[in-house]
Amino acid sequence: MRIPAFFLLALLPLSAQDAGVTRNDWLHYGGTQFSWRYSALDQVNTSNVKNLLPAWIFQTGDYTEYLGSTPIVADGVLYLISASARVFALDAAKGTLIWQYRYPAPRPGIAGSHSDFIQNRGVALTDGKIIFGTRDNFLVALDQKTGKEMWKVSVDDPKQCGCNNLSAPLVVKDKIIVGGNGGDQAHRGYLTAFYAKTGRLAWRWYVVPAPGEKGNETWKGDSWRFGGGSPWLTGSFDPDLNLVYWGTGNAAADFYDADRVAAGTNKSKDVNLYTASVVALDADTGKLRWHFQEVPDDIWDYDSAYEVLLMDRQIRGQMRKVLVHMNKSGLTFVLDRATGEFLSSFNVPEVSNWMTGVTEDGKLVGRNEPVLGKTQSFCPSTAGAKSWNSTAYSPRTGFLYTPTNELCNDITSNDTKPTEGRFFMNGDFPTKLPPNRTTYSHVDAWDPVTGKRMWSMPYKFVLLSSMLATAGDLVFTGDPEGNFFALDARTGNKLWTFQTGAGHRGGSISYSVNGRQYIAVTTGFQQTVVGSAIVGLFPEQSFRPGSTLVVFALPEGSR
Amino acid sequence: MTRALLLFAFAALAAFSPAQDLVKQGEAVFSKSCATGYCHGAKGTNGGAPRLAARGFDQAFIANTVQRGIPSTAMPAFGTTLSRADLNAVVAYVASLNGVTNLITNSGPGGAPAVKLSGDAARGRDLFSDAVRSFGRCSTCHEAGGIGIAVATPIAKVPADAAALKALSTSQVSTVTLGGESMPALLVSKKANTVVFYDLTSVPPVLRTESPSAVQTRDGSPWRHASVIGAYNDAELSAILSYLRAVVKP
Repeated sequence: MRIPAFFLLALLPLSAQDAGVTRNDWLHYGGTQFSWRYSALDQVNTSNVKNLLPAWIFQTGDYTEYLGSTPIVADGVLYLISASARVFALDAAKGTLIWQYRYPAPRPGIAGSHSDFIQNRGVALTDGKIIFGTRDNFLVALDQKTGKEMWKVSVDDPKQCGCNNLSAPLVVKDKIIVGGNGGDQAHRGYLTAFYAKTGRLAWRWYVVPAPGEKGNETWKGDSWRFGGGSPWLTGSFDPDLNLVYWGTGNAAADFYDADRVAAGTNKSKDVNLYTASVVALDADTGKLRWHFQEVPDDIWDYDSAYEVLLMDRQIRGQMRKVLVHMNKSGLTFVLDRATGEFLSSFNVPEVSNWMTGVTEDGKLVGRNEPVLGKTQSFCPSTAGAKSWNSTAYSPRTGFLYTPTNELCNDITSNDTKPTEGRFFMNGDFPTKLPPNRTTYSHVDAWDPVTGKRMWSMPYKFVLLSSMLATAGDLVFTGDPEGNFFALDARTGNKLWTFQTGAGHRGGSISYSVNGRQYIAVTTGFQQTVVGSAIVGLFPEQSFRPGSTLVVFALPEGSR
Repeated sequence: MTRALLLFAFAALAAFSPAQDLVKQGEAVFSKSCATGYCHGAKGTNGGAPRLAARGFDQAFIANTVQRGIPSTAMPAFGTTLSRADLNAVVAYVASLNGVTNLITNSGPGGAPAVKLSGDAARGRDLFSDAVRSFGRCSTCHEAGGIGIAVATPIAKVPADAAALKALSTSQVSTVTLGGESMPALLVSKKANTVVFYDLTSVPPVLRTESPSAVQTRDGSPWRHASVIGAYNDAELSAILSYLRAVVKP
């Protein structure tokens, strides 16, 4: 019997290949809940990308800080959040304003804590609502149609914890899950799930287990109370396995471990759980299913909070459900995402002195740790071999695209005791350029299965903007000088560049309205935290602030 | 007192000047609130925010900036969050980094009022906002003594003991019916276009905004305060009440 091909296709289970790609819409922070930042649109491709021009531009008017968010697009409407949480719904083809919302003045936090940093990384869309975190630590839901507030819930008290949530929430079925920062304060990190419909609490999972819970024994004394580990970015979700994946932050305090790690502890595995780990939680209950700690006793601030890419790949002759995860050190792990089994790893930066290697079962070798009272140079820096901006993955090339920075910092540890909600990093760490180099970053393409770098495009300053990969075999990102550019996904050759007028610290997306493909990028360089550290390294440069969305398309009639 | 003696007294004061202690105290405040690598760095020499050492700042400028912050930047106003003593100390410390030698030990009005607590009340304060109890802590819904989130109206009368706290009647909690579901609620406002209320179905409370046509409200609710204080035992509740007695002004 002949079975029509379309019927066979319908019988195939939804594979990761389908679940990872975006088409007309861009519904999640990472494109899909698999976090690939990959668009299946191919109208713009390697041969016509040179014709790309701005189709429309939107200035948010919120110039207090950079525009670092990743927009969301659904049914021809683009949703954008600015640094001080102004939210805009725009006609995605024309840029005309449909509605806008202004978050009111925030409630007080702790002066000198995270609440001072004005930023927002994106909204989530579910259940007819636009949902986002705020710097005074609320989670807010707006009506998708009108922009009117529907519910608002306090995730924690910022004047006690010094913490907040500024990354895009993750949609998981009927829930919305938020991490939060605070790991640099004396704080105990957690993930919290709320019901999208009502804003009511569904579950909370603490990164650092309490006494009586498994893993608490990996903490010295009562150091677990302020053990950090805040999962401050956005996770991923595999509906087939019903697992939520998230990277967790560093153990606190960062640069001094004698108060949290018992003398004589074997540091090869599971120290200060579940910090600096990838964790898999049951999506319904928030119960921990498995964990893999990437940096046991993370004394360098290499927290593992970054995005988790879910993909199915042939490994040693067998199709495996894997995840690919890079932490701040640039060490990138490939794990079986059903079990957490270590499969392989590769190290992205060229300048790295904090360890000498990784064993075949995923353990660090040759740890080089900060010592109390000494100033030593460590590479990569706490700004990261990659900062929090995301990588991208193309299923067409099979490559992971990374914006890698080559920076170091001079760490001087101290043994300051914690005060709840106050900074608790126990060290000074000015960022420095490594010697004997003329370029300090590169866009790379890595084959995550072989761990081979397939190509590398160097750049003289640093790269702090997310990657976008498309089916037109293009890779997009922006630089601090204001250039937004497209590379050939197979070779790394630069095919197109456009000066957008301000530095890049956000993300770009691709979507389609009425058959026309658009590429949107947020512009405006960060003035605080990593952004200002970078400005300090290149004082002759002008890495300009701003808050503008620039949207490109091929000119009408040229397609 | 003769003039000579007076001069001598001043000289002695200078020799044992509190300024050095103040600078030392200021360095400790600075290390936790200002010196992080994201901001001004150790001794104000490096970090993400501007360098503070050797900039030629005078103490009045420093005091003003520390107290008021710099609007639309990451530099916050510390005037309401640091105590008067800590403010004086940190201002003196930053002034010392700028070579100011005739340090003023009290750099102005303001500062968070310090509440001195001891024994049960101090323990009660810690329990009131104990982060280990997650959303089960008092401060999820109550603000008292500058701690916590003011969802409930300010506590006016402190119950006599744990039993009285559990038996507390909560006449301000009403019932909202929305989409066929009834829930305990604290009404915040009722306007022509919106009804705003806290949904108390679970903790933390959710501030919800609905159209008046979608909701029915009625006085009273089966909700009881006893249902949300299970994170504490009676001895702990008793300590919390001691704290409330110390900070709640009748």
